[in-house]
Amino acid sequence: MITSTDSVIRVEDVGIRFRRNRKASRSFKDLFAGKGRRARFDEFWALRHVSFDVRQGEAIGVVGRNGQGKSTLLKLVAEVVLPDEGRVSVHEGVAPLIEITGGFVNDLTVRDNVYLTAGLHGMSRSEIADSFDEIIDFAEISDFVDTPYKHLSSGMKVRIAFSVIARLDEPIILVDEVLAVGDRSFKEKCYQRIEQMLEDGRTLFFVSHSEKELERFCTRGLYLDGGEMLFDGPIDQALARYNADYPPKRKA
Amino acid sequence: MTAVMAPPRPRAQGATRYRQILWLLTSRDLKVRYSTSALGWVWSILDPLLMSGIYYFVFTYIFHRKVGETPYIVFLLSGLLAWQWFNGAISDSTKAFTSDAKLVRSTKIPRTIWVNRIVLSKGIEFLFSIPVLAFFAIFTGAHLHWQVVFVPLAIVMQYILITGLGLIIAPLVVFFQDLERATRLILRFLFYASPIIYGTKNLPGGFRFIASFNPLSGIFGLYRGAFFPDQISRVEVGVGGVVCLVVLAVGLFVFRVSERAVLKEI
Repeated sequence: MITSTDSVIRVEDVGIRFRRNRKASRSFKDLFAGKGRRARFDEFWALRHVSFDVRQGEAIGVVGRNGQGKSTLLKLVAEVVLPDEGRVSVHEGVAPLIEITGGFVNDLTVRDNVYLTAGLHGMSRSEIADSFDEIIDFAEISDFVDTPYKHLSSGMKVRIAFSVIARLDEPIILVDEVLAVGDRSFKEKCYQRIEQMLEDGRTLFFVSHSEKELERFCTRGLYLDGGEMLFDGPIDQALARYNADYPPKRKA
Repeated sequence: MTAVMAPPRPRAQGATRYRQILWLLTSRDLKVRYSTSALGWVWSILDPLLMSGIYYFVFTYIFHRKVGETPYIVFLLSGLLAWQWFNGAISDSTKAFTSDAKLVRSTKIPRTIWVNRIVLSKGIEFLFSIPVLAFFAIFTGAHLHWQVVFVPLAIVMQYILITGLGLIIAPLVVFFQDLERATRLILRFLFYASPIIYGTKNLPGGFRFIASFNPLSGIFGLYRGAFFPDQISRVEVGVGGVVCLVVLAVGLFVFRVSERAVLKEI
């Protein structure tokens, strides 16, 4: 059993680079070049020399402007992209709220989709069967269980997707601004669910532009700028640092 | 901390988890294919049936065939149905990542599954199409020989071959769009370069030697051995088996080397 002092996420001197021009042609040589090589002229480091440890139960908010590597960092922690340098180790199961509707298939019914997505994230059939009603209730779409997914409204799609991932019961939750969609009352419901999960001792990794949300959930803040981690500390200080570097526009 | 977290549910690990997910995605593929069209299964056998009809007509009534064996329709189908698996899986593997890009971007599952699930679902379709062959075999009175025991070997060889090729093609297509077209072209060439409408026995000496390096020669020979034991060539099976394993090794290597770059690209 993991005690609260052990780290559940460890990021060690991580760097990842991307190509600047996505359409640029690639040579075979590029493809087979080892990870130790230097960045080529058309590549840039989206993140570099980033290190931190996350202990169980911590709620971490990632702060920074657009394109400074926040979502990339989240994907690295979710292990859906791999770093070019350094190491990411995640010692517990992860419930990634990233592109949550991605696994849903238009032609299948909501029921099939719930079994599919929850299964892909590691739930067994009997577990899914046990929590199926709860998932549907939370998403408030009990009338559409056997409707093909493509016939749902976009709000319903997000609701059922969130509901499935939130039900995974994994010790680590990653949230990437997915909740920007959905109406206000459902959004509030999602937030309450996240708060409840935090109270249960889960670990949260949260990317958002909303100061209000960050302050509501997070205790610790990581401030990213220019591909580097400039600050790691209490969330209010991280936000203060960010606001000092990029002062918010005041209303006259 | 106010509450104690419930102990994490036991999650399947390693090979068990791999199998679970592979099966989930494969059955999803089959479900989608069969639930979206009214004819479902019929579609997957209509293509080989139509093709065999055409070849049967052309080579029996127009050209007065000297190749293959009699009954020719059984000879044709025993190659064509397996070719259908090869052809379908290879052409689908060019879209292995792009067709599920969102899912690849958001779930952490062993990436080889994206190729494997195509090979498996096409393979299952192939198994489902075997009754058609059986029907024609009974209808034409073809004899089943004890060599039918080699069919599982052929299936294993073909599975290895397709997986290996898929592991090479799937990641490379992400970088080289042209490869998708090239693959289609090569597949069309391979159709005639492999013993489907003829048998390797019909090839002149030099070509027969070259054909033994095409692993499909040995594989199709094994399938056909069930009805025409003469079609099995030990040399072709042996050479083909080695080629299959080499292709798989190359595939695993290419996949491992390019995986990191693929994930960034999609």
